[in-house]
Amino acid sequence: MLKSLNNASAFWFILPCLLVLALTSLYPIGFGVVVSLTNWNWGNQFDYVGLSNFTTLLGDGEFWTVLKNTLVFATSATIIEVALGFYLATQVDKLSIRTDLIRALIMLPLMVSGIVVALMSKVMFDPFLGIVNQLLGVFGLGPSAFYGAVATAMPSIIAVDVWWQTAFVFIILLAGLHGLPRSPIEAARVEGASEFIIFWRIKMPMLRSLLVTVIIIRAIDTLKVFDIVFGTTGGGPQIATEVVQTFVYRTAYSYQQIGKAMATIILFSLLILIVALALQMLQQRMEEK
Amino acid sequence: MTFIPASLMTGPTRPGTVLATGWAYIFTGIMLLFSLFPVYWVLATSLKTKRDGLANPPLWIFDPTTANYLKLWTHETFKSTFINSVIVTVIGIALSLAIAIPTAYAIVRMKVRGQNLVGAWLILAYMLPEFLFVLPMFSFYQWTGLYDTHVGLALMYQVHVLPLSIWLLSSFFREINPAIDEAARMEGASHLQVLMKIYIPCTLPGLMATVILNAIWIWNELAIALGLTFSKAQTVTLGVTSFRGYAALDWGAMTAASIVAIFPMLVFAVIAQRHIVKGLTLGAVKG
Repeated sequence: MLKSLNNASAFWFILPCLLVLALTSLYPIGFGVVVSLTNWNWGNQFDYVGLSNFTTLLGDGEFWTVLKNTLVFATSATIIEVALGFYLATQVDKLSIRTDLIRALIMLPLMVSGIVVALMSKVMFDPFLGIVNQLLGVFGLGPSAFYGAVATAMPSIIAVDVWWQTAFVFIILLAGLHGLPRSPIEAARVEGASEFIIFWRIKMPMLRSLLVTVIIIRAIDTLKVFDIVFGTTGGGPQIATEVVQTFVYRTAYSYQQIGKAMATIILFSLLILIVALALQMLQQRMEEK
Repeated sequence: MTFIPASLMTGPTRPGTVLATGWAYIFTGIMLLFSLFPVYWVLATSLKTKRDGLANPPLWIFDPTTANYLKLWTHETFKSTFINSVIVTVIGIALSLAIAIPTAYAIVRMKVRGQNLVGAWLILAYMLPEFLFVLPMFSFYQWTGLYDTHVGLALMYQVHVLPLSIWLLSSFFREINPAIDEAARMEGASHLQVLMKIYIPCTLPGLMATVILNAIWIWNELAIALGLTFSKAQTVTLGVTSFRGYAALDWGAMTAASIVAIFPMLVFAVIAQRHIVKGLTLGAVKG
């Protein structure tokens, strides 16, 4: 009797959460799956077309280019951000001064919204008047067209994401380094082990799981990229920087092909799920070792 | 060996270590410059006259002017997007706390059937792409009148804000010794009283970290606001977006709008750095 009362109150405690989540995620996914099977145009045209949205998409060269762009962006940005952020964390960890202020300043880009990051980069990357081309000129490099040319547009957007999000990796891994137990490290130092050995044999194994977590978070986040593409190139030149979420936005709002847009984002969501599950399995296997 | 003070052992005794420490300072300096220079440059551009802003080559030294900010002050649309963002952020945070606090408490201290299922659902809601939710909601919001309203937008933001809040709050709640609330329960206190009188007061810094992280996320969000608002509830990120077309002609207006849009978050970063770091770190470990 008492137990069931307890259970009843637990139910009331989480009910608001379930209702809001049902409305904001379960309903849209359910209705979205229905829409993906139709030729809806936001208006009166709402006919069942079976899986034809999915099959035409899979045979559509533009879709594969968009997917390739997204994967190129996500892979490059994740690798560079994790490598740079981790290296920076190990370097800041070596400093013998208080690092609170340094951390706060390095964290600033993380506070800036993606759209502002995008506009900032447009000012700095301007091919004619931008400061970046002037600085490159000092080193005898450039000038580059940045967003204006097919070859440089994607690398420019990757660079912008690296500026924006590297601090996230840095903060998490610096906290991880600070949280390592001191005694095995000091013991190894007394034994005369070099810093190189201490890092790879002692610190690295203890940080490995956290490192994979950071990789998972960055991978998912970069796959979902929208703001910085929308704010800089809008997918151009041609479709050199079009990524899945900007493609879906364009398909749904500019071309009113909501069925096709929904089919695209459903396929993409499955891809994100697979990537997340694969990385998590990797993490579990590493922890078992 | 134990009689040697630890400070002597860890000091830079080998020449290699001195070099390595020196490089650590240099590299940190380079990364500081890399992080801060763009913010400085955009701030500087926003303080230039139109002619100075578009000078070729770019000017390092100039007469600062507040003209761009004064012009922005009379820009009614931009001003209203800023106010909309404040309103949406406040509603979004109030909603998330009201929902996430009892949920986190129930998950940590009460037996909830299907707890793993709720956990999996939270992770899914958090990591799936925005437009998966926004496109179907667009028509739903128009039917129900939630489209282009502050409440509607704040409600949709819960899909991202709730999972993070519940992860963070449940990890803060777990730090409280369960013996304390068992004692209170023995005295006849209800779960609601235990939550209000013990859990919330004991985890105020944690609540603070949660609120700040959510505020930053809501303030900076673009895709959902783009899909679910049109004019009345447009947020500041959309206000900034409307300056996108100015890129070729008026950098002053665009950069001033950017600085105004990020200013509240920069203040946050400086005064609440510790909370942000705590929230980000915990969020990463939980998520």
